Amino acid sequence: MNPLRLLKLEWSKFSPSGTFRVFAGLYAGSFALVVFLARSAGNNMTMTANGETSHPMAGILNYPNNWELLACIGSWMNLFVLGTLGVFMIAMEFSNRTLRQNVIFGLTRLEVAVSKLVWAVALAWAATLVYLLLAFGGEIADGQGPGLPPANCVSGFFVQALGYLFLGNLFGLLIRQTALATLGYLAYVVFLETACKWLFYFSVAKTRLLLFLPDQVLGALTPLPIPASVNHVINSSPYTRPLSITEAMLGALVYLALFAVLFCRKIIKSDL
Amino acid sequence: MPVLTVNNLAKDYGSLRALDGLDLTVERGQVFGLLGPNGSGKTTLLAILLDVIHASSGSYSWFDGTGGKHVRNRIGALLETPNFYPYLNADQNLSLVATIKGISNPSLDSLLELVQLKDRRKSPFKTYSLGMKQRLGLAGCLVGDPDVLILDEPTNGLDPEGMVEVRQVIQKIAAQGKTIILASHILDEVEKICSHVAIIKKGKLLATGAIGSILSSEPTVEAGAADMERLRQFLTTCFLVKKVSRADNRLILELHPGRTPAELNQLAFESGIVLDHLVLKRQSLEVEFLEITRK
Repeated sequence: MNPLRLLKLEWSKFSPSGTFRVFAGLYAGSFALVVFLARSAGNNMTMTANGETSHPMAGILNYPNNWELLACIGSWMNLFVLGTLGVFMIAMEFSNRTLRQNVIFGLTRLEVAVSKLVWAVALAWAATLVYLLLAFGGEIADGQGPGLPPANCVSGFFVQALGYLFLGNLFGLLIRQTALATLGYLAYVVFLETACKWLFYFSVAKTRLLLFLPDQVLGALTPLPIPASVNHVINSSPYTRPLSITEAMLGALVYLALFAVLFCRKIIKSDL
Repeated sequence: MPVLTVNNLAKDYGSLRALDGLDLTVERGQVFGLLGPNGSGKTTLLAILLDVIHASSGSYSWFDGTGGKHVRNRIGALLETPNFYPYLNADQNLSLVATIKGISNPSLDSLLELVQLKDRRKSPFKTYSLGMKQRLGLAGCLVGDPDVLILDEPTNGLDPEGMVEVRQVIQKIAAQGKTIILASHILDEVEKICSHVAIIKKGKLLATGAIGSILSSEPTVEAGAADMERLRQFLTTCFLVKKVSRADNRLILELHPGRTPAELNQLAFESGIVLDHLVLKRQSLEVEFLEITRK
């Protein structure tokens, strides 16, 4: 099994696809647009209190806060665009019956599974590259010398992108129909997991383990740049205190391994 | 050396048994026909052999288990309707097949010429007619010059001219000494192309062997007269005739070994029956197939 051959195979499949190009354009375009709007709003935002005017967003665009802000904006792109792309990449193969055809032409089931995982890794790298370019670009545009990105921001962003892609892949594989799988994925990440979390929290047990649900963990990889006053309120309860970057990273790596194993197992064991 | 050995293969879909303990051997160079009515288990068998679905029990081996890990690259297959990426053209789709098979410089020109798609090679797959899709599927099977071809209903959806073309392509490939496994419910197709045949019904193997051994050695005779009822009564008691059956407005007879239609004609005339139709026919696979599957 040659991962580069499998990567080439996936690139040849998806790069000419109009839907894939729309997803890619949407990701980079909307990410850049939101960053541009945030920068414009941030620079122009003023607050007047007791006759004094302040710029509450001023510092947030300066190094190293800019990396956190961009990671936060990018996390929404990862959740909605990359995750949905992950669903599409698998469900499209099932609706066109091309995954089955690939096996008929001689690809082994393990190669099928690995090709999807390798392709997801490549896409997560590409997403991280967009993040890096936007952050460095912003620094250069502001006349700041480009500073080294905080390591946890970049690695967290990459793992998060990969996590949503894997999660989307899994939804695509389990549901197989593009529209239903996309709906299922979005329903899960937008409200199902959160609803289950609070339901369990209020009716069964108040435990911090609820913060280790997949979407909670992936979300915690790029913490919101929250003002200190709000942060104080959140941190006052051990049950609502967000996961630390280390906790989130460990949790995310466990989920990545779990998703990959489940994905491979399902492809190998199911009738295609 | 057998190219394919199937041992006691079974597949269940819930309570439905699609394959029921099938045994089969295909030797190198054979053009092997899998015959069976719709739903008999032909496609299920091929899908298991191609690893698209899993067998419930039993086993199979390609090339006696000596093919190594790249055994699948020696097999080209067309299972049901070919499924390609709809937005990719013929060149791009066949290049993907080449990448799957690990071939760096596939000779797509000759393949597209063979299946007569050279002038549409740049059109997306979704714009193709069913016949063109089927022909591209055939080209996909041939990428990498495989030793074995598996073709499931290869003339499905083709017009008569297309059917003849595809048959000619298959015969051309068979002449190169390649092994072909052809599933079809079109008996005429199997009879024209195949050297060996297996007849399957409800997942069970009913008969297998060379086409010649499946077909009855005794010829059949088609007979007709103005008074068909009198003719039928005469034939059922005639010592020359082994079996009589009715087909449309004719009677189909199987004669005892060594007996000829001329003797029958003379005996009928002497009994006062003038035959207005008497044709000697070789037993067709269709008759034999119907007989085997009705048992």
